[in-house]
Amino acid sequence: MHGAEILLQPGVFPRLLQGLWVTIWIAGVSVLLSLPVGLVVGWLMTLRNPIVRFIMRVYLDFIRIMPQLALLFIAFYGFARAFNWNLDATGACVLVFVLWGGAELGDLVRGALESIPRTQYESAQVLGLNSWQTFSRVILPQALRRLLPASVNLITRIVKTTSLAALLGVIEVIKVGQQIIDANRFQYPDATLWIYGVIFFMYFFVCWPLSIVARRLEKRWAHD
Amino acid sequence: MTDDALATTNSSTQHETLHIRHIVKQYDNADKPVLNDVSFDVPAGQVFVILGPSGSGKSTLLRTIAGLEPIQGGDITIGDEVLRTSGKKKDIEKANAANTSNTSGSKAAKGDTNPVKVGMVFQSYDLFPNKTVLGNIMLAPVLVQKRKKDEVKAEAIKLLERVGLADRQDAWPHELSGGQRQRVAICRALIEHPQIMLFDEVTAALDPEMVREVLDVIVELADSGQTMLIVTHEMAFARAVADHIILLEDGGIVEESDDAEQFFTHPQSERAQQFLNTFTYSRERQ
Repeated sequence: MHGAEILLQPGVFPRLLQGLWVTIWIAGVSVLLSLPVGLVVGWLMTLRNPIVRFIMRVYLDFIRIMPQLALLFIAFYGFARAFNWNLDATGACVLVFVLWGGAELGDLVRGALESIPRTQYESAQVLGLNSWQTFSRVILPQALRRLLPASVNLITRIVKTTSLAALLGVIEVIKVGQQIIDANRFQYPDATLWIYGVIFFMYFFVCWPLSIVARRLEKRWAHD
Repeated sequence: MTDDALATTNSSTQHETLHIRHIVKQYDNADKPVLNDVSFDVPAGQVFVILGPSGSGKSTLLRTIAGLEPIQGGDITIGDEVLRTSGKKKDIEKANAANTSNTSGSKAAKGDTNPVKVGMVFQSYDLFPNKTVLGNIMLAPVLVQKRKKDEVKAEAIKLLERVGLADRQDAWPHELSGGQRQRVAICRALIEHPQIMLFDEVTAALDPEMVREVLDVIVELADSGQTMLIVTHEMAFARAVADHIILLEDGGIVEESDDAEQFFTHPQSERAQQFLNTFTYSRERQ
């Protein structure tokens, strides 16, 4: 039980919270930027143009097949160095997560858009709505409802995947935990369980409300 | 017909005849046309019922009038105004520019902006699920026809009273029965004061006990002088409501009649007899 005392050491908890903030910041910015990217990608995927379709297909498959860690390394050690981009580790993370989140969200958007029956478009057209009015007033609101539960799950995946940022040297919550453990290796040799235990609950309390929201929305909109 | 909410015939622009002239509809990969040189005129205030076996092209005919299917030949006009043609959109605009002096001519030519010429109700319950009953009805007049919200709402409520759904104005589509949804869909089309109403098998997907409430609304509408084209499989209804009957088969008109009673009791062509016989069932019991 000796290891638990490390949590009471001055500075330990505040530092973990700081790390958690970095995690939330990367995830939050990535999600915010993913939303417009995903909407556009999803819309492009529904187009009939074969070239656009092909490009989107390649983009989606590439992002899905590559492990996120490999993408992070390519972005940070590969492209940023090769082309001399002024991209720090946090920036590389956000870039990769936006590309990944945008692709995944785009696929969800495509599915949602395609699940709207043809008659919805046709009724709107006969009523005189133009294509933009049809999309913004009729199709998109319905698509968003079908989309929300799945995209909330995607957000929790993005939050969890930010832990990979530690491997680029970003001082997010996992990295902070490692540093604390390393620094106290001799004083508290069995602190590992406790520090990672706290981190576990930190992730849990970030993601849990999201999945509650997802479940609620799913229930409320089930009849649509 | 004391209520003026449904009295859509009072406007002076609505006494024009709908001309369907030599309509040809063919899909790219099909070997024969769905509609092959179909022509007829629908005078204002008339109710035309289009009958025919499935695959005869009757739904397609309504869809071409609604502008949902491009046509490969012929044209559709209301009075002098070209509504659809096999030509390019520019041709329609040019043709109508000669007729209409105002600048909205090109808009009206597309047939999908103010004023809305054609209203349509579909077989499937196609209300917008993300809007309430009132929201469904009010969307297009406010958005497309740029009418005042208050005025539109007042008319929407009148229409709902007419179809017996005034108490459901704030309900969501999923809370309504199929028959109720179709009645709302009729209101949603009527509020734009279309010159022509199209009904595409609106009761075909309904439970039998809900068919009547929808047909009653359509009959009432017919009595109010609304010009209508109706595709239906309800023969008794067709007989009761039609001013004119058209029997379609294989994309062509087989028989036409201005006398619904006579068409049903003494059809002229053999094909019409055959068709009508499929709706009666009799068997000699041992």
